[in-house]
Amino acid sequence: MKEGCLMYSSKLQERLKSKGIDIGDRIKVAGPGGEFTGFLMPRPHYGDSDILVIKLSSGYNVGLKVDSIELIEKSKASPKPASSEERIKNGHLSILGCGGTIASRIEYKTGAVYPSISASELRQSFPALKRWAVNSRQIFSLFSEDMNASHWRLLADAIDEEIKGGSNGIVVMHGTDTMTYTSSAISFMIQNPPVPIVFVGAQRSSDRPSSENEMNILNSAYTASKDFAEVSVCMHATTNDDYCHVHRGTRVRKMHTSRRDAFHSIDSDPLFSVDYRTETFKPLSEYRKRAPVSEMNISKKMNDNVALIYSHPNIKPSLISKLDDYDGVVFIGTGLGHLPANAFDDKSVRSVLEPVKALIDSGIPVVMSSQCINGRLCMRVYTSGRLLMDIGVIGDGMDWTPETAYTKLCWVLGQTKDMKKIKEMMVTDYVGEICPRSGTQIV
Amino acid sequence: MKIGIEIHQRLDTNKLFCGCPSAQSDEGKPDLLMSRRLHPVVSEMGEIDEASMAEKSKDRVFEYQVFQKHDCLVEMDEEPPGRMNMEALRIGLQMAKELQATPVDEVQPMRKMVIDGSNTSGFQRTAIVALNGCLESSKGTIHITTIAIEEESAGIISNEEGKATYRLDRLGIPLIEITTDPDIKDGAHLFEVAEKIGMMLRATGKVARGLGTIRQDVNISTDGGARVEIKGAQDLKMLPQYLEIEVKRQTALVSVLAELRARKVLPISSKPIDATEIFKSSKAKIIEGGLKSGASVLAMNLPRHKGLLGREIQPGKRYGTELSDYSKRAGVKGIIHSDENLEKYPISQDELKKLAKKLDMGEQDSFVLVIAPKEQAETALSFVLERANMDFVPGETRRANPDATTTYLRPLPGKARMYPETDVPPIPITTDFLKSVEKGESLDEKRKRLEKILNKEMAGTMLKSRNLHLFEKLVASGADPTLAATTLENTLVSLRREGIELTDPEKTLGELFEEYKKGAFVKAAIPEMLKGMAKGARVEAVLKVYRLQRITGDMLDQLVKENYYDMTAIMQKFRLQVDPQEVAELVKKKK
Repeated sequence: MKEGCLMYSSKLQERLKSKGIDIGDRIKVAGPGGEFTGFLMPRPHYGDSDILVIKLSSGYNVGLKVDSIELIEKSKASPKPASSEERIKNGHLSILGCGGTIASRIEYKTGAVYPSISASELRQSFPALKRWAVNSRQIFSLFSEDMNASHWRLLADAIDEEIKGGSNGIVVMHGTDTMTYTSSAISFMIQNPPVPIVFVGAQRSSDRPSSENEMNILNSAYTASKDFAEVSVCMHATTNDDYCHVHRGTRVRKMHTSRRDAFHSIDSDPLFSVDYRTETFKPLSEYRKRAPVSEMNISKKMNDNVALIYSHPNIKPSLISKLDDYDGVVFIGTGLGHLPANAFDDKSVRSVLEPVKALIDSGIPVVMSSQCINGRLCMRVYTSGRLLMDIGVIGDGMDWTPETAYTKLCWVLGQTKDMKKIKEMMVTDYVGEICPRSGTQIV
Repeated sequence: MKIGIEIHQRLDTNKLFCGCPSAQSDEGKPDLLMSRRLHPVVSEMGEIDEASMAEKSKDRVFEYQVFQKHDCLVEMDEEPPGRMNMEALRIGLQMAKELQATPVDEVQPMRKMVIDGSNTSGFQRTAIVALNGCLESSKGTIHITTIAIEEESAGIISNEEGKATYRLDRLGIPLIEITTDPDIKDGAHLFEVAEKIGMMLRATGKVARGLGTIRQDVNISTDGGARVEIKGAQDLKMLPQYLEIEVKRQTALVSVLAELRARKVLPISSKPIDATEIFKSSKAKIIEGGLKSGASVLAMNLPRHKGLLGREIQPGKRYGTELSDYSKRAGVKGIIHSDENLEKYPISQDELKKLAKKLDMGEQDSFVLVIAPKEQAETALSFVLERANMDFVPGETRRANPDATTTYLRPLPGKARMYPETDVPPIPITTDFLKSVEKGESLDEKRKRLEKILNKEMAGTMLKSRNLHLFEKLVASGADPTLAATTLENTLVSLRREGIELTDPEKTLGELFEEYKKGAFVKAAIPEMLKGMAKGARVEAVLKVYRLQRITGDMLDQLVKENYYDMTAIMQKFRLQVDPQEVAELVKKKK
C-alpha cells in the first residue's frame, strides 16, 4: 500500500487493502447520497480519517462517508523525476537546492513533495533559464525553520566545491523563513568569493499560477552572471511582478510573514535592483566585484551552541542563569541595547544584571542586538546600557541585525575560544555586517 | 440536444476567505495599483490544463486596482486565505435542503486554475457542499448535479493587447453555484428552471441584490455539434435567445464543415508569409499605424475557402469571425480576410493582386492577414490554422454578448485545472452543524404566505422580484403589504424611468411608510414624496416644500364647503392632499 493511504483510519486502510485499492486508483463508492465514481485521493493530515476523499470526473474533490467501495481501475504509474544528469565542467551557473517552496513539486497522488531540481526540470518549469548552462544539485530538502548549523556547513561545502569546479555564479534556492540566518552564516564562512552567491526563495508556493518563484529565480540567475561577488539575497522588491532587489547577505531581513516584498535591507540600501526581462542591473550601493579565487577566505567552522534570547518585561533572572551550558549568548534587547538592569535600584524590579555577569565571568560571551531592528546600539547613553557594558556585554556601536549578530557569534566561536579575541572579532567588520555610518533611509 | 445550466448567485455575507465586506466600492479611484503575471502549473494528476495553456500563450501583464475599504492582503494574493465563511456554507446547505441534495461529509476546498487574470492567485477557490439534488418543473424532474460555494472573480475594466486591468473589490465575494444535469428540454424550459432556482435563492433572504449579482452559464450540446458553455448571461429573459442562436451557430458550422469536406480542403498545411513589403505604402489606417509601430503584415492562404469565410453563422458574425476569435489568443486584435469588404480599410486592387501572387492563390482560395509584431503575428496565424483545420465543431467556452450572440473565450476547461487548496483545511459537515441549518421557508410556503397578504398576481410578482427581501423587511416593520408591494414594483420603477433613484431604499421607504401610517400625507402623494426624499430631504421638509400635508378633519370640512361639495373639482385641485374616501363621505353626508 502506498504511503498516501496511511492518512486514512486503520479501519479504512483495511477495507482499501482488502480490495487492492491504492491512492490514485479509479473507484466506485456508494453511500447515503448515491453512487459516485472517481479517483481515490490522499487525505490531508487534519480532519476525520474515516472520510474518504474522492476526485470526481469534474475534477472536484469531495469527502464522503461510504458504505461500499469497489475498484474500477488501477492507476498508471506516474513518471519518476529524473535522477542524474551530465554535469557541465566550467563557466556554468550552479543552482543548489535546500528545499523551500520555490521549486518543489507536490505529487498529490501520494502526497509526497519532490524537489524539482534537476536541470531539465528547472528548464521545464522556467523556460527562460535556457540562456544559461545550468548545473544543479539538491543539497538537502528541508523547511528552512528545520535547518541548523550542520546544514550551513553542508551548503558551504557544496558552494566551495562548485567554486572550485569552475562555477561562474551560484544560486541557492532556500525556504524564506530562516534564509537570512543562512545568508549571513555563509557570508562569514565563505568570505571574498570569486563569484556571486545569490540566495533566492518564494513567498507564494510553486503550485500557484501567481507564484513569484519564476521571476525571483530568473533574476537571481541573471544576478549570478554579473560582475559582482558577494553573498546576497534576491527577492521581489515590490508587490508587483516587476523587479527584484539584491540585498547584502548580512544586512537583509524578512520583515513580513506573507508579502512578496518581505525582504528588506536594514539601515542600508539594497545592492542592486534587477530585472532580467529588460536586462536591468542597477547598483544602489557600493559592492564587491569579481576577484581571483585566491582572494577567497574559507573558514567553515561554526559553533552551534549559542542561544538567541528575546528580552521582555517579566523576564526572570533564573532564565538567564539556565543559559550557562551555552558557549555564547546573543540578546535581542530593547531600545538602544538594554536589559532590565535596575538602574534606579527599585525594590519592585527584577534585574538580570547579576546572572548576565555570572555568564560572562564564567567565560561565556554575551552579545547585544536590538528589538527595534533598525538603528544602532548606543549602550553608553543610559545607565542600563552602561551597566551592561561595564560587565562586558559586547555590542555598543554595532548596527547589526539580531540574526547576523547570532550567526557571527556562532562563527567567531568556531574560530577562537579566547575571550579577548572573541570581543575583537565581534566588533570587526568582515562582510558588511557592521556599517560605520548610519543610513538615513526612512524606516 | 442537451441543455444544462449553472447558476451563480452572490451571497450577502462577508467575503469567503477574509473579513472584507462583500459590497463593491462606489469610488472610481483606487487606493493602490499593482501589476502581476501568471503562469500555468501542473495539476495534482500531473497534467496541464488546455484552457490554461491557451491563456498562457497571451503572456500578459495584469494590473489590479485595490480599494482599501474592500480589499485586504488576501485579495492581493499577499496573504494566505483565512478559513471559509461559515455563513456562506450554511446558505449552501440551506439550498441543499431546498433542492433535496445530499451534503458531503467533508467539504474539500479546491483551486480551479484560471489564468486570465481575473483571480490574483491564478485560481478560483471552490468547494462542493452537496450532490445529487432534484427540482420539479413543468417538463419533468431536473437533476441537480452539484451545489458549490466559490469565490467571485475580480471585475474587468479593460482588456488591451498584452495587458488587462481588473478591480479587486469584487474578488472573493461568496457565490453559490448550482449546476443541473442536461435535463432541460428547450428555451422556455431553460427560462423556467433558471427562474425557479433564482426564486429559491432569493427566498433564503441571504443573497445579494442588484445588477450582476446573479449570472447564468448555459451548457448546450447539439447533435453533430459539440458541447459549448455560454458564460455570464445576466438577463434571464435572454436565455432562450442565446440557446436559439447557439443552435443556429452550430448548425451553420456543421454546414461549413460539410462544404469543406466536399471541397476536400482539410487538412490545410499553409504557412504564414511576410507580406509587409506589399503594404508598405498602404492607405489602410490599421496597416499604416501598425507598420509605423514596427509591426509586420503576415498573410496565409486558406485554400478553397472562398465564400465560406463570409458565411454568416451568428447574426452579424461570420465563419471568419470564428477564425479571428482564435487569433486573439495571441493577443492580436483580429484578422482581415478576403471575404470581407476590403474597400472599407481600404486595401487596393493592386495590393490584392500582389498578395494573390505572393500567396500563390487560385481562384477559389482565400487569404487571412494579421498585423502585429512578427513573432506574435506568426502565433496568431498558427491559431487561425489550428481552428481552420478542425474537422469537427469544437467544444468551447463562449462569452454571452448583450446582443445574444457569443464570442469564443477558450477551450472547455478540463479536470486538470482542479487541485486542492492546501491553505484551507477541509470542513467536516457534522450532524450537529446540519441540524443547526434552518431549512427556512420553502418556495411553496413563501408563496402561500404572500398570497395571504397580497392578491395572487401581486404575490407572484413579489416572489420573482429582486425586492422580495426588502418587501419582507418593510412589512415586518408595519408597512401595508399592498402599498409596499406597489411602491416597490410600480412607483420606484416609474421614478427610475424619470432618472430618480433612491440611494438607500430601505431607509427612505421605512420612513415614508411610518409617516404615512401616522396620516401625514395621502397615498396619491407618495411619488412626489419620494421625489423629494430622493434628493436627501427629510419627510417634514418635503411635506412643507411640496405642500403635501394631508388636509383632514375641520380643514377638509371647510374646503369641501368652499368648493360647493363638488367631488370632481375638489379631487382635481387637491388630489395630492386629500383622501378621496374622506371627501366622498363628506359629500354624501351633505346630500
